[in-house]
Amino acid sequence: MLLKISFRNVFRNRRRSLITLLVLVMGATGMILFGGYKEVNFYGLRETTIRNRLGHLQIYKLGSSTAESDKPLEYGLEDVQSIRKRIEQDPRVSMTAAQITLMGLISNGDKSETFLGTAVEPSKDARMQAQRLVSGREPTDKELDTLIVGQGLARSMKVRNGDYLTLMTTTVTGSLNAMDFQVVGTFATGVKEYDDRAVKMPLGGAQLLLNTKKIEKLLIMLKKTDETEDVAADLRILAAKEKWPVEMKSWSELATFYHQVVLIFNGIFGFIGIIVFVIVVLSVANTIMMSIFERTREIGTLMAIGTKRRRVWLMFLFEGMIIGLLGGVLGLLFGTGVAQLINLAHIQLPPPPGYTTGYPLRIMLKSSILVSAFLLAWVTATLSSIYPALRASRLRIVDALGHI
Amino acid sequence: MKDQVIGLVGVRKLYRLGSVEVVALAGVDLEVYRGDFTALAGPSGSGKTTLLNLIGCIDKASSGRVFVEGQDITDKPLDALADLRATRIGFIFQTFNLVPVLNSFENVEYPLLLSGVPRKERHERVWSWLRNVGLESQARQRPDQLSGGQRQRVAIARAMIMKPVLVLADEPTANLDSETASQILDLLDQINRETRTTFVFATHDPNIIGRAHRRIRLRDGRIVADERNGVVNSARLQPIATTGSRSQNA
Repeated sequence: MLLKISFRNVFRNRRRSLITLLVLVMGATGMILFGGYKEVNFYGLRETTIRNRLGHLQIYKLGSSTAESDKPLEYGLEDVQSIRKRIEQDPRVSMTAAQITLMGLISNGDKSETFLGTAVEPSKDARMQAQRLVSGREPTDKELDTLIVGQGLARSMKVRNGDYLTLMTTTVTGSLNAMDFQVVGTFATGVKEYDDRAVKMPLGGAQLLLNTKKIEKLLIMLKKTDETEDVAADLRILAAKEKWPVEMKSWSELATFYHQVVLIFNGIFGFIGIIVFVIVVLSVANTIMMSIFERTREIGTLMAIGTKRRRVWLMFLFEGMIIGLLGGVLGLLFGTGVAQLINLAHIQLPPPPGYTTGYPLRIMLKSSILVSAFLLAWVTATLSSIYPALRASRLRIVDALGHI
Repeated sequence: MKDQVIGLVGVRKLYRLGSVEVVALAGVDLEVYRGDFTALAGPSGSGKTTLLNLIGCIDKASSGRVFVEGQDITDKPLDALADLRATRIGFIFQTFNLVPVLNSFENVEYPLLLSGVPRKERHERVWSWLRNVGLESQARQRPDQLSGGQRQRVAIARAMIMKPVLVLADEPTANLDSETASQILDLLDQINRETRTTFVFATHDPNIIGRAHRRIRLRDGRIVADERNGVVNSARLQPIATTGSRSQNA
């Protein structure tokens, strides 16, 4: 009966309940949209970071992370074929890719600039979809003297596809070496500063330039990012068993920027959550207080005919709970509906600071966000009715009845 | 020997209004017996409702002792008396005070639910009382769909549903037209005769005062007249006028 009274009272003053429900629905929708937007960004940044640069796991020569090398690839890996073969036998592993990073001077004959080079296995790199090709094509595994250049660098060097650029760097023995490479394409990663300096070349070409057969690191790409820690643990056991002279790092240990972004977004999300929480608390508490004010005599009557204070308290608590439940469910429906509409609308956002390309506005409907949004509405509405309900239950019966 | 339902010994009730202390009851001794049909009369501010509230265990006396069916309830907190109110005392209010979101059936059923009466018995008793007050066909209507008289009948059924020993009625006819008031009074009179339920009214209504078996007149928080069937209960007290206008009673 208490629940019945509470439920019917929610609909007694429909306009007021509607306004409260609207606040709850908007609060839950805000949480769903911002939470979903945040998750899309986290996901996008994480996957881009993994595919562009880091891979899920990286294998280095043992001691390379703590040692200070005097020459390039002093701590490079040699003869990794057997290691790669064993790692690729794991069904969770998508592929392994060898990499070298190098830097030096790049020249078109008239002008020289510094470059940041990444030497990759082109066939593997294509599968990683690390960069967006703006013009031309990717190098192939066999064309060792080809490269692709970042959009900004191509502009600065005034090169077109087919032109040659000279790369000069220090070899593994410490001497200088230079090689001509043919530009076969230009690419963009979206990060302007990087695109102004970046070149990408076949691993074999870089090894010729550096005069070595070593590689710097072995990237391991997994089928699912969520399995990174499990695979890492298993590989560490395998490496110890096989006595591989290697050490391993996961993408998470290397992705400093990703973690900074996560921290900032979570801070903003938490702040918005607090604002929504306060609005919901005030709104629901106000509704229940108004309801108590209007129903003072009714409360007095119920207590006079034998209703205990605890039941009166529960009755108003149930009202907050019911409003919260309705608001939570409606908020979920409305929030997911708006999120779907936004996803279908293909809205393009302008480039963020430091980036050259915009990105689509998408909302990820993750179950944890939906549950949080629902709980925010429900639990907050329930909590905010505790104090007004307590006040109702503490009314003096004779005062409430309006008789002295 | 008569069964005593209510006993008040030297009861005083003081209110504080700002810095002023108001004496609502200034030492009342009263005994109410089973089957009494008693009217508390007196002008506004004489202490009728305060006395009714103390008898009904919804307010506490400042001093003196209060007994319900011989049990001294003076020192018990009001919330601890909720069960006593739910099972032994019925209330009828001037403004009916039904729960607006419950229909007639549910309003009458409410006290039975508080006491955990099983569903089958609940329904039998509710239908029986709705029949008694002539509202079977209005069972599913909410208070705002009922006339004043019908609402008061629902309130009477609600007050009687727990078979209370005592029913307290505060100006039960004040919001009704004279014909409806008379019908309500007939109903209460009939219930009193058939069930021997004790009724105590706080009223200005000369009809109620006229039909009461016992009339108690209050003035300035004191009982100044107490008469049963024309016989004055105490030599110290004066007989009470039973006819005349409200202004005479007030």
